[in-house]
Amino acid sequence: MRLSGKTCVLIIAFLVIVSVFSMLWISAAQSSGGHIAVIYLKGQEQQRIDLQSVTASYTIDVGDGNTVLVEHGQISMCSADCPDKLCVNQGAISTAVFPIVCLPNEVMICIESNDSEAPDAIVR
Amino acid sequence: MNAKRLTSIALLSAAALIVFVIEAQIPTLVPIPGVKLGLANVITLVSMYILSRCDTFYILLIRIILGSILSGQIMSFFYSLAGGLLCFLVMSLLFCILTKKQVWVISIAGAIAHNAGQLTVAAFVLNSTQIFVYAPYLLLSGIITGTFTGLCAQLLVHRFSRE
Repeated sequence: MRLSGKTCVLIIAFLVIVSVFSMLWISAAQSSGGHIAVIYLKGQEQQRIDLQSVTASYTIDVGDGNTVLVEHGQISMCSADCPDKLCVNQGAISTAVFPIVCLPNEVMICIESNDSEAPDAIVR
Repeated sequence: MNAKRLTSIALLSAAALIVFVIEAQIPTLVPIPGVKLGLANVITLVSMYILSRCDTFYILLIRIILGSILSGQIMSFFYSLAGGLLCFLVMSLLFCILTKKQVWVISIAGAIAHNAGQLTVAAFVLNSTQIFVYAPYLLLSGIITGTFTGLCAQLLVHRFSRE
């Protein structure tokens, strides 16, 4: 089986279109808010913070080398001992779309819309 | 294993490591975990053409093991290994069906496979599926960086085959 150059270009163009559309779709979903920040370390939930009830900003240490800055309505990683510092450079997040991830230290901060255990509504 | 083959593997492994270490010094442009140029893949592609696929596998393993020792991160070893092995698998399959003028296509497929492998390991390590929100970004970055490294590799393959 041989693939011609044209077929390859078509497949790649299709993949580009798919990725661009899913990016647009993801950024459109950004409006769905949430205010519960959940911090995970090595897949285990460490802490659950209601960002709306935070009045004065404070920091918490997660694991060995990560420090999280908690502010009203947003959360960010203010320092990390990993070499790439991607999680620090990402800045503060306030929506549920992109979690802050520190891959080397296995730390993840995501925002969840509500307490996941509680039901959305109860119909009687 | 004769001396020529051993020397070729050692030489290309050293070249791949140098490229890998230099690339690690380049600051990342976008704050998305996993986005990088993947310049070391140029060496993998070139060795696939001028040596054999078996030797390329050795070069890849040597580069991943020594590369994570040099960068000093244990976790990055698993990410590199998963990405590297998946990338090698996809590229060696495409190597059979594509010509020397389509090295860039092999490279793009390899870059996408590498990112997919890393993302899957990250999802397992972090025990979360939310990280898959980065999948379209990694797909696009794989296509862009794959085209670049693939064109570099294609140029080198042509230079080598002319001799």
